[in-house]
Amino acid sequence: MKKRTLWLTLPAILLVISVLLSACGESANSGEASEIEIKFPSIWVAKDSKAATFAQIVKDFNEQNQGKIIVVVEEIPDYGAYKDKIRTNITTGTTPDIFSFDNPADGELYYKSGNLADLTPYLDEQWKSTFLDHAFDNAAYDGKVYSIPFEFGVTPVLYNTKLFKQAGITGFPKTYTELFAAFDKLKAAGIAPATQMTGGDGWVSMLWYSQLVSAIGGPDVYKHGLDDPAFVQAAEVLKKLFDYTTGDAVGLDNAGAHFLNQQTAVLLNGPWFIGRIKKEGIDNLYDSVEVAPAPVYEGGKGQAGQYIGFTQASLAVGKQKDKKKEEAIVKFLKYLTSPDNVKKLSLDSGSLFVIKYEVTKDDKVERLQTEMKKGMEAAPYITPHFRASVSPAVGAEFPQALSGLVLGKYTPEQFVQQLKQADSK
Amino acid sequence: MQRTTHFRTGAILFLLPALLLFTAFFLYPVGYVVVVSFMKWDGMSSPGFVGLRNYSALFHDEVFRISIRNNLIWACAEAMIQVPLAILVALLLARKPKGWKLLRTIYFFPHVISGIAITMLWGAIYNNERGLLNGFLRLIGLSEWEHNWLGGLGSAFPSVLVYGLLYIGYFMVIILADISSVSQSYYEAASIDGATRTQQDWHITLPLIRGTIATCVTLAMVNGLRQFEQVLLLTGGGPANNTSVLVLYLYKELQNFHYGTANALGTVLIVLGGLVILTVRKLFNAAKYDM
Repeated sequence: MKKRTLWLTLPAILLVISVLLSACGESANSGEASEIEIKFPSIWVAKDSKAATFAQIVKDFNEQNQGKIIVVVEEIPDYGAYKDKIRTNITTGTTPDIFSFDNPADGELYYKSGNLADLTPYLDEQWKSTFLDHAFDNAAYDGKVYSIPFEFGVTPVLYNTKLFKQAGITGFPKTYTELFAAFDKLKAAGIAPATQMTGGDGWVSMLWYSQLVSAIGGPDVYKHGLDDPAFVQAAEVLKKLFDYTTGDAVGLDNAGAHFLNQQTAVLLNGPWFIGRIKKEGIDNLYDSVEVAPAPVYEGGKGQAGQYIGFTQASLAVGKQKDKKKEEAIVKFLKYLTSPDNVKKLSLDSGSLFVIKYEVTKDDKVERLQTEMKKGMEAAPYITPHFRASVSPAVGAEFPQALSGLVLGKYTPEQFVQQLKQADSK
Repeated sequence: MQRTTHFRTGAILFLLPALLLFTAFFLYPVGYVVVVSFMKWDGMSSPGFVGLRNYSALFHDEVFRISIRNNLIWACAEAMIQVPLAILVALLLARKPKGWKLLRTIYFFPHVISGIAITMLWGAIYNNERGLLNGFLRLIGLSEWEHNWLGGLGSAFPSVLVYGLLYIGYFMVIILADISSVSQSYYEAASIDGATRTQQDWHITLPLIRGTIATCVTLAMVNGLRQFEQVLLLTGGGPANNTSVLVLYLYKELQNFHYGTANALGTVLIVLGGLVILTVRKLFNAAKYDM
């Protein structure tokens, strides 16, 4: 009987607790808040190269607006988890006050959801003039601006001159024929030529594929969709590149590590990696690293010096009921994207942004960052990377299709077919 | 009589909150999953009804076929390898050899540690360049056997699957508890008749704990169907989707904004789970054992 009583009382206790909890929630909500709280889940925390400067900017803003506005940063260092959170939030209608996203393909779905605030009315000429030309090209949907472009990424070749010298190679190859000859020399010297990866989102190999696709098919290759023969041809070359990498490339998801340990001589990555070379690279690695544009593909439609470039982070605002809160959020956005703060972020981390700022002689600008910027400015054209140019499903299938290609399960044609299939659901 | 009626009304009243919670957090979401499985929906814009299209797309999909195959192998491996191993160890421990309590704790210990931690540990063991497994092979002079365990088409799935089967502590504890509840008088009678320990285990213990074994087999098979973190962390479903399982595929489809297909996968999982329970009940004639 005693046991039975316990059984029966348990749901009652649960009910009482849940009623109490919901009552607590209500009282917290009904309390009058004079200070506007802005929630900002962010990835620019922990080991991110922008973390310290970003934290300082938020702190300064909160101090300047004490008692009126407070920006609360929710730290999410894992990018995959961050993406999941944002998507879930938008789907369930609990969009964060501010958040960032990297892929324009995702961005378009977010705009469509109707849960983002329209930023067009706030984007006056003065604010707009601080951005690079064409910065807003991909930020508009249905004639309205739903996100503020922020960080810009270019992904040239980073190569280790010390290892190149050991193998008797001077300068970075200009064509793919030269590249494979150089890779043979590196391999003969017992050095794994270039980092590749199929784990995670296959980022580095995806960048190689992007370089190859536009080197073979030209800057307009994505206009033809995946039917362009360049996608199959690029897959053939990419497969060959896997003969010149580390034994763990299939399945590898932390591709940067091999380059940082000087186990591989070449890595494709962006300016955000500069901070990691300095902090995590083996002794003096930074001094041996140089930047170059990817080689030209003989017979291809691409030109020498082409760069892969894309908006690496855009900032969006969740739809607000309270106009005052929306204005407060925009105030913070303007502060964060102000040339002064962007300059600090850029100089401290090596990252590039779509916001213009003046550099004086006294400013300490990273050597590699300057080289990347020079290369980018000299490029005949800049094309976005593969994942930013296809649907999220195709981008997600890429690493799986690639591992199938490398392991001989798929021919280059079947590899492209796999990608097409991912899109058809 | 009146007391009973009162008791019933009270019971219903008291159970009502739990029932409401169960409806809100289980029945409603499951119903919702089934409804969305008939829709094309990206999770952002409004959904549209497409009938059975999501299901027909799935049945023509290679990744789905691989996932089902892997899940079934997983469920069978757990039922046919993990549970028998657990029974064997439980029978041996039930004889209370020296240090059996310590052994019991050791076998159960991995279940105290988070599955994610154990998976990451195995990720380090399988690592192609710095991993213990390849290091060990080099040490004993079998360096030609060195392999990218999680990166090979043939080796990835067995590598992901096999280590989980070693952790038998959970089932072992359940079975051991049931063995200890078997009355000693049966064994005494059997030993008077000259039955050996093995014969006693075979003819007395095993038949008497059949209900518990059926429960363990059900749990093991359902566990095999629900596999997720082992695959996500070790291979992410790769290479070439060869290690994919249904829950991982569902998760990826959600990330790809294919909510309709993801929910169709959810429905397939629910049906498979139901089928597994029915099959095990049938096989063990388990209705008799209050399973």
